[in-house]
Amino acid sequence: MSQKNTTPLFFLAPAVILITIFVIYPIIKTLWLSFLSPNGEFVGLHSYFKVLRSKEIINLDRFPYKSPPWGALIHNAMWIAIHLPLTLFLGLFFAIVLKEVRGASIIKSIVFLGMVMPMVIGGLLAEFLFDKDVGIVNVVLRFIGLHPLANISWTYHPETALLATILSGVWMWTGFSMIVYSAALAAIPREYYEAAEIDGATSFRKFIHITLPLLKPATLVVVVMTVLYELKIFDIVYAATGGGPGGASMVLAILMYIKAFVAFNFNEAAVLATLLTLLTLPPAIWIAKTAVGRK
Amino acid sequence: MESFTPVLEAFTEKTGIEVEYRIYRAEDLATILPAQFESGMAPADVIFMWAWWIANNTDHILDVSDVINPDDFMPGTVDQVTVDGKIYGAPYTGKVKPGFWYRISFFEEHNLEVPTTWAEFETLLETISEIPGIEAPIASGDGVGWPLSDVTEHFILTFGGTELFQGLIDGSVSWTSDEVKAIFRDKLVPLLKAGYFSEPKDWTLILEDWWEGTHALYFMGSWITGMVDNASDLGVFSLPGAEAFVFGPDFMFIPKYTEYPAEAKELVKFLSGAEGQTIQVKQGGHIATNLGVKLDDYPEVDKRVAQLLEGATAVTDLDDTVGGEFQTTFWDQLKYLWVHPDEWEDVLANIEAKAP
Repeated sequence: MSQKNTTPLFFLAPAVILITIFVIYPIIKTLWLSFLSPNGEFVGLHSYFKVLRSKEIINLDRFPYKSPPWGALIHNAMWIAIHLPLTLFLGLFFAIVLKEVRGASIIKSIVFLGMVMPMVIGGLLAEFLFDKDVGIVNVVLRFIGLHPLANISWTYHPETALLATILSGVWMWTGFSMIVYSAALAAIPREYYEAAEIDGATSFRKFIHITLPLLKPATLVVVVMTVLYELKIFDIVYAATGGGPGGASMVLAILMYIKAFVAFNFNEAAVLATLLTLLTLPPAIWIAKTAVGRK
Repeated sequence: MESFTPVLEAFTEKTGIEVEYRIYRAEDLATILPAQFESGMAPADVIFMWAWWIANNTDHILDVSDVINPDDFMPGTVDQVTVDGKIYGAPYTGKVKPGFWYRISFFEEHNLEVPTTWAEFETLLETISEIPGIEAPIASGDGVGWPLSDVTEHFILTFGGTELFQGLIDGSVSWTSDEVKAIFRDKLVPLLKAGYFSEPKDWTLILEDWWEGTHALYFMGSWITGMVDNASDLGVFSLPGAEAFVFGPDFMFIPKYTEYPAEAKELVKFLSGAEGQTIQVKQGGHIATNLGVKLDDYPEVDKRVAQLLEGATAVTDLDDTVGGEFQTTFWDQLKYLWVHPDEWEDVLANIEAKAP
């Protein structure tokens, strides 16, 4: 092999070695562990069936007619169903409303604070935000007359714990979608709006026919990143409720942590890790493909 | 931290060995230590940890049989960290969970009496609930869940006895057995349904509420004496009929990977000895495990707690002894029970699913 051919390999080697040690080996090891029993015997997909049949993952005895716990997988799905649209809508709303406002950067900074703050701190704050005595959420609910909801600490009740963690997540993540949308809005040429105005378009029609279509790439980025965040959500829930009460706000990542570091059942933890990887793989592949496409 | 520093200072003064003290939560250590041990490292030379954890990780722990004599300690204490005849941990001071704490001044102001029967206890709760300003007679502390498990264990011990309690620890008794069900159905759940227990709230915050009079009773361990403004205003009573209490000693161990095994053994010997424990109990809130510590060395309020233990049976904390996934499930399910007492049978079934 000529020196010209080996030079790229020489430069690639450090990255390849590091990726092999810190990414590829742990993935293979985790996958292998998921096929073993706790005493090291090969059991194939047995652990997968066991985990997937567990009420900790999907609890169809309670879902959807009774209050949570519904199982960690359903809770993660609830995160996507509630957190994703709210984050998208609020991010877009703030980006548009604050676009032409004087001093908007201050308000944007306040909204973005949730993103800057460590998620664990956000989780701890969530407990107080929804506290029946001192929680700002309950103060507002009391003010608008929703006393039954305002008179309980949300994180201590199975009916509300999951929602409380999701809404806290919305508060913390909205800054991300707002910033992405703000950047995308700033990139839309002003001429498009001027041309539409000459044609007599209303603000609503300009939004529908110019703004929204041109925000599609930004929306896709926000959707993918937010779905990834929702699937691997851990810190907020762990700090706010620990996944309780009675597993009512449990999510896959916390369950994986409990299996690995509380129960020391590394095999079931590996199963959950593999499932989480499989769930996050499609959006991750999409991001990778998009990045290559742009290049 | 403040109350432990004098003990360490006394050790340094006596031996000339400097000690750096760092605080970690046991839950965090349980996560950190396995990885450190696998790589032949340890974050400290002497580590305080749960007894069950020490007993389950003896491959990485030094045998301290040469510095610990089980006869120097409360009977059965060292057994918790003894595996195959070797002692892998040393008991330090402990905390007893004697019952419901109240402010003497509050009881005097409202002419309340300490109950001596279950009926009197129920009447007391009803009377307290009618006092203006009382949200719920009993404050329910929450952290990761242990304050609720402490009060539940007190009910189990009082109405089920030590044999049932030990059976739940070793797995010979089911959580869904008739005996356990009866305790929940007839004693604990009716009080929850009647609203005598408050909604759970962070245990340090609700301590302030209780002290201010929002609640009249608070089930807590003996460390509460070091957490209030005026410990002499504290009174405590157990559930009528209680003959056994949970006593939770703190345990320490030396990891095999320490660079200073001799010095670490010196420290363990001092801390578990009468000299070190005497300094600790004088700070308040601690009960000695070493039999060499005299009753006169305790502050007055702790002396009353120490006396409670005399003649009674001391047992280990149920969930601390079992540990693992059972412990987190037990805590979490009790949090659920506190707001959904009507689902107590499901709660017991869920606890049983993770029981030994």
